[in-house]
Amino acid sequence: MKRSLVIGVIGLLVVSIGLVCWAGGSLRSTFAWPTYADPAVGSDYSSSSTLVNLYDSLVYPTLEGSVKPDVAESWDASPDGLTWTFYLRSGVKFHDGTELTAEDVAFSMDRLTTIGEGYGYLFIGRVASTEAVDKYTVRFHMAETFGPFLTNLVRLYILNKDLVMANLEDGPYDDFGDYGKKYLLTHDAGSGAYTIKEFPLEEYVLMEKYPDYWGEIDPDAPDEVKFIATTEAMTVRTLMANKELEISDQWQTAEGFATLDRMEGVDIARFYMGGVFFYMIHTKRVPTDCIHFRKAMAWAVDYETAAALDESHPAHGPVSVDFPGWNPDVFTYHQDLDKACQELALSKYATSDVLDCIEVCCGDDGCTTAQERICYRECWDKIGLEVDVHWCAEVPTEEKVALLFQANMAEIGIKVNVIRTPWMTMIDEMADMEASPNIETIYVAPHYPEAGSMLESRYHSDSAATWEQNEWLLDWIFDAAIKDAIATVDIETRFAKYRDLQDYIVALCPSIYLNDQLERHAYQSYIDWPAAKGNVIKVMGYNMDARFIKVLPH
Amino acid sequence: MRLGVFLLKRLLHSIFVLLGLSILIFIIARVMPGDPARLALGPRAPEWAVQRVRESMYLDKPLYAQYYYWLKDALHGDFGESLVTRRDVATDIKEFLPATMELVLFSGVIMAVFGILLGAISARYSNTWIDNVVRIGSYAGVVTPSFVFAVLFLLIFGYVLHILPSIGRISSGVARPPVITGLITIDGLFTGHFAAVLDALKHLIMPGVALALGGMSQEARITRSSMSDNLRKDYIAAERAQGIPERVINLKYLLKPSLIPTVSILGLDFAALLANAFLVELIFNWPGMSRYGINGMLRKDLNAIIAVIMVMGLVFIVVNILVDLIVAFLDPRIRLGAERSK
Repeated sequence: MKRSLVIGVIGLLVVSIGLVCWAGGSLRSTFAWPTYADPAVGSDYSSSSTLVNLYDSLVYPTLEGSVKPDVAESWDASPDGLTWTFYLRSGVKFHDGTELTAEDVAFSMDRLTTIGEGYGYLFIGRVASTEAVDKYTVRFHMAETFGPFLTNLVRLYILNKDLVMANLEDGPYDDFGDYGKKYLLTHDAGSGAYTIKEFPLEEYVLMEKYPDYWGEIDPDAPDEVKFIATTEAMTVRTLMANKELEISDQWQTAEGFATLDRMEGVDIARFYMGGVFFYMIHTKRVPTDCIHFRKAMAWAVDYETAAALDESHPAHGPVSVDFPGWNPDVFTYHQDLDKACQELALSKYATSDVLDCIEVCCGDDGCTTAQERICYRECWDKIGLEVDVHWCAEVPTEEKVALLFQANMAEIGIKVNVIRTPWMTMIDEMADMEASPNIETIYVAPHYPEAGSMLESRYHSDSAATWEQNEWLLDWIFDAAIKDAIATVDIETRFAKYRDLQDYIVALCPSIYLNDQLERHAYQSYIDWPAAKGNVIKVMGYNMDARFIKVLPH
Repeated sequence: MRLGVFLLKRLLHSIFVLLGLSILIFIIARVMPGDPARLALGPRAPEWAVQRVRESMYLDKPLYAQYYYWLKDALHGDFGESLVTRRDVATDIKEFLPATMELVLFSGVIMAVFGILLGAISARYSNTWIDNVVRIGSYAGVVTPSFVFAVLFLLIFGYVLHILPSIGRISSGVARPPVITGLITIDGLFTGHFAAVLDALKHLIMPGVALALGGMSQEARITRSSMSDNLRKDYIAAERAQGIPERVINLKYLLKPSLIPTVSILGLDFAALLANAFLVELIFNWPGMSRYGINGMLRKDLNAIIAVIMVMGLVFIVVNILVDLIVAFLDPRIRLGAERSK
């Protein structure tokens, strides 16, 4: 009895010590660098994930794609949509203990639009002025109506004005000097659930829990969050195996994820964030300037195999499946070589010589046998039409898809040149209509969680000459229509317009929509990560909000 | 006096070398594809913001004007701002160079000490199993890139045995010593932060050894070869005939002259460590200058690229001058030759 008691006490002690050791668990994740902790500078994956933890915003994104109150308790818009007023909650404290007020919100918006970097583009030209009406009321006067304004406010991270102003250095912003940019490289001025503890640039950013945080925070949320600057495969595997890493970056190869998946206690999270893998077809270059030629290519692609190479599902139009504003009824191509041949025969490059040759080869029944198909291809070879496909050298998976595409096109007699191209060269050649190749293969993610973001950045004429558009669509009807859609304040009407625009674009066949971009992360089974369970917020960075990620005893 | 003249001449040569290097790298960096300002700010940044960056870097000016402004600022110690870290490149170099120097010095010491030692042992036991082991090991070391060793060590000591830290220069929980040189081990020793010294040494072992093995094998092979040649020389036979103890012959009359080719190569290998450090720094997440430089190239961070190359060039020149001095010290013929040529 006495012995059992002693063993029991020792057991309890061991468990208690274990729990004490575990308490204050940390969440470590690897990221592609650089990371910027300045809300007016950072906008990539690691920066967004960092900003979400350091700062609060007026509204917070929901799983459904809308927003809910955050620092703003409520808001209203004028009937013309040109004035938005937000009523802030009281008692929100910055990390230095001072209270967050309307002045800080107005300052943050002014700073973001003046610097013009990071997420500034979401508001520049749209927000005309800001006004702190009283301590807890802030008003935005719009230059034009902008439907997704409320949604975009998740990217307005609120800075502590006094702290920033106390740390100004010389810079190009007149009275504001450098607007605190140097200070905010390695410090934060936020009110978020975490605050910067250490930030050796190019190595890692270490954040610790802010004890006076006003908002919801899970009791099992980590005390420390560390984002590490590496995506090196062997390093990630070693850290993961040693339980020194809780969530991996998304940039590991398929083979890398398979290896991680085989590790004990490691699982793979798979979710879609709205990105789509595009084959961007130059609509002004021979021979892809012909819509029938483009449609022939679209019918010839083996979408299922291409998507499988990326462990994803085939895309349905230019907007990712289930993304807010996606059109579920949009026309979707599948592999049908007969239709591809029919479209090719309609193209302006199908000269009478070619058509006669095909008729001799295949007769009226079409090319059914292997020999007939070879003959058919030789007919097209005579006119020597070639399509250049430039795939991004930094993304090895794209080569496999490009080679599949080459084989698919060969089936209908189109010769494809697959060319490995460094990313910076791609950017350079896409800046010039004459230098752009027939096809660039690029993953594109939306800038905000609405179909309009993808449609505008991919097909509006303003995007031509950037890496987001190789199509050189330059369609003024579409330009006007997407501007009109985005300016529509009523969400139902706006989304209906987005759906119509998806039909309009797909009918022009300026791109081949291969697959939705699957985001994968390896993670330890001792963390309870909402995104891994399918509770995905489709706004970059928000799935890494550590206050909702539980680090369980292990 | 002779030493002074020699140094002065080398320094004058170095200025021209650095100037030529700066022109070359300046042109190469600027003809690489991609607009660095647009790359830094992203495709959606407004044109006026991108233009502001271009103007601040004089990218809107002709190439010769850009070089003039760069040189003018560089002579005042201003290497411009990094488009990646968004701070002065000089500050970046100040932060990242010590990390690389600590790694390279650690590797350099391993390379020199063990390379010469293994070479000497190999020569001493020439054509025995010891010699064969060292020779085969050296061949393997020379032909294997340092990143292969890095991955291998990470796998064995970080992953399987888990006895050495996998990433970084120092553990998160260990207090960094106050910065004096920027080298954590040295600063820790100066300020009595011995826990930091030990922790930093543990972090140094894997990347340091991985980086050193190639050069070390090279030094071992050259030392062995040089000592074997000298062993057959008449003066060694004469010294043996005079009854001079073998230990003295080996250390004083054999090793010292045999080190001349080793030291010459050592200088080049040491400078090469700086460049080879990139992949090792990447694998071990080592916040060093080599990784910073290569990342700068990938992201077209013009100011960072030029500054890193210039610093590497400078280190290369300094190391080579030091090597020349050491060789002159080791080989009286060089000193005497210099005198006669006068």
